Amino acid sequence: MIPARLHWPIGAVVVVVAALLPIVMSDFTVSQILTRSLILGIAAASLIFLASLGGWVSLAQIGLYGVAGFAVGNLAQADGGVKVFAMDMWLAALLAIIVTVVIGLIIGVVASRSEGIYFLMITLAFGVIIRLLFEKATDLSGFGGINQIIQPEVLGSAQLQPERIYWVCLVISVLVYLGVRYFARTPFGLAFQGIRDNAARMKALGYNVTLIRTIAFGIGAFVAALAGVLNVWWNTQISPGTIDIRPVIFLLMIAIIGGLYRIEGAWVGALIYVILDNRLRSIDLVGERVATALGIIFLLIVLLSPGGVMGILESLSSRWRRSDEPDQPAGDGDGTAAAVVAGD
Amino acid sequence: MTDEMSQTVTSAADSVAPILRLRGVGRRFGGVQAVRGVDLDVGLGERRAVLGPNGAGKTTLFNVIAGEFPPTEGSVELFGEDVTNKPARDRVPLGLTRTFQISRLFAGLTVADNLYVAVVGVDGGHLRPFRNGRDRALHQRAREIGDRVGLAGVLDRMVGVLSHGEQRQLEIGMALAGDPKLILLDEPAAGLARAERVKLTEMLLGLDRSITLLLIEHDMDVALTVAEHVTMMHDGRVVAEGSPSEIRGNQLVHDLYLGKGHGNDE
Repeated sequence: MIPARLHWPIGAVVVVVAALLPIVMSDFTVSQILTRSLILGIAAASLIFLASLGGWVSLAQIGLYGVAGFAVGNLAQADGGVKVFAMDMWLAALLAIIVTVVIGLIIGVVASRSEGIYFLMITLAFGVIIRLLFEKATDLSGFGGINQIIQPEVLGSAQLQPERIYWVCLVISVLVYLGVRYFARTPFGLAFQGIRDNAARMKALGYNVTLIRTIAFGIGAFVAALAGVLNVWWNTQISPGTIDIRPVIFLLMIAIIGGLYRIEGAWVGALIYVILDNRLRSIDLVGERVATALGIIFLLIVLLSPGGVMGILESLSSRWRRSDEPDQPAGDGDGTAAAVVAGD
Repeated sequence: MTDEMSQTVTSAADSVAPILRLRGVGRRFGGVQAVRGVDLDVGLGERRAVLGPNGAGKTTLFNVIAGEFPPTEGSVELFGEDVTNKPARDRVPLGLTRTFQISRLFAGLTVADNLYVAVVGVDGGHLRPFRNGRDRALHQRAREIGDRVGLAGVLDRMVGVLSHGEQRQLEIGMALAGDPKLILLDEPAAGLARAERVKLTEMLLGLDRSITLLLIEHDMDVALTVAEHVTMMHDGRVVAEGSPSEIRGNQLVHDLYLGKGHGNDE
């Protein structure tokens, strides 16, 4: 593991470099690779947040992301969906996030009583229900989706000024990352991790396990909603296909490729996925079989390291450190220790 | 079913009002009557052991006292308050904490964070999503408790990598963190090596005398050294009560437990 004192400098360098990339990169790269990676990264962060701190693998995150996107499409001015509101873009975004969190809390009430495979199935079911709802309710989802969703004026045009939405996504990503790291060290965050490790003990200590889990699921929905809003600002359209089963699986793959137990893994996994998704198509052998190729690469990464790419980096750096430093007690107290313990 | 066997005389602690009072407590699981007609009074500062062979109903009785599930008959009074149907988490603020037979710790957190979560459990503010000035004091308190249970050297280690003995020590630390008046110790010495048992016994003897201890223990050495009063259970009932020396000399106890070696060898 990288020494704790280097975390801040390394993080700062990564963010500064990322912020400067639009200067040297083409508009296409900034929009289709970098911005898309950041948005998917935030969505994956909502999944990894629940997985690393709560021990929950949720398949409802894409559904919640879709709720936020459709809510923006319906509340703001757009082609398709409900037209009566046409409200201010910022207000639409705020309401969309609130709606998503409320739906997340409702799902959380049901899901928080379950664990493991049951939790996975319940969240998958909710994800599918949300998709079917939007598919059938064409009043809400338009015919063939909602298009030309307007963006806040400061963002300009996604085509002409792709760096603006990119920077917004970068700032939100940093805030989500820092927020999750901070949350893990608060009483609530530690309680959530305690429940992950032993719910019975938490009850014996006087904690309301169901309440804590439900609210934590709501926080996960909030992060997914941020990604959902950014997605429609960037993409200007959303359709039921956006939240189909394929994106659900790809988001899970992103989280696993990055490393399910480290929040950084969300963006690492998203970047790898987006680059592969873009580049594999141009290889003759792959062509239309992108999903198959992605699946094989996914398998290889999982076989190599159950902790994903972050797990590989971690074991490499600890091997390198072990050669010149005596053994340190594991963990730098960032709440991702379950992986360290389980992975060894 | 209810006969003179359950009407054993309450020995000590009858002068002061008991902090734990069970009356006619029974618990049925389907067709199995795990505990029946138990009367028990435990006074402030008392050290009491509950002994009995496997299946005697000790753990069921503990779970009823802790609030894991309510009794099917009878009543439980804690610190003068009827808590018969109160869930476990509502008994913690009253001053009741417990340890578990199989350690229930947070393997993915450090020793200090385990204790911190336990301290916050009683302090309140479970849903506080930000850090504030209180945390310093709470973390400090967590580390002090770690010290008290002999874990000062491993406070920043992940619990998952601790030895079994250290985990048992932490198990007691978790119960102490609640600032309890009464601790239920469910086989604290389970699975410990001889030297570790001696250390544990010393630690239990060194606890603040104002804390009341009620322990289930298979290991007679630990139980009869720590306890001043012993309650003997068999088939879900209390069959004998007395001081450790009385219990050692009791023929019934010998037959039931000591003599026959009912899984009490380790």
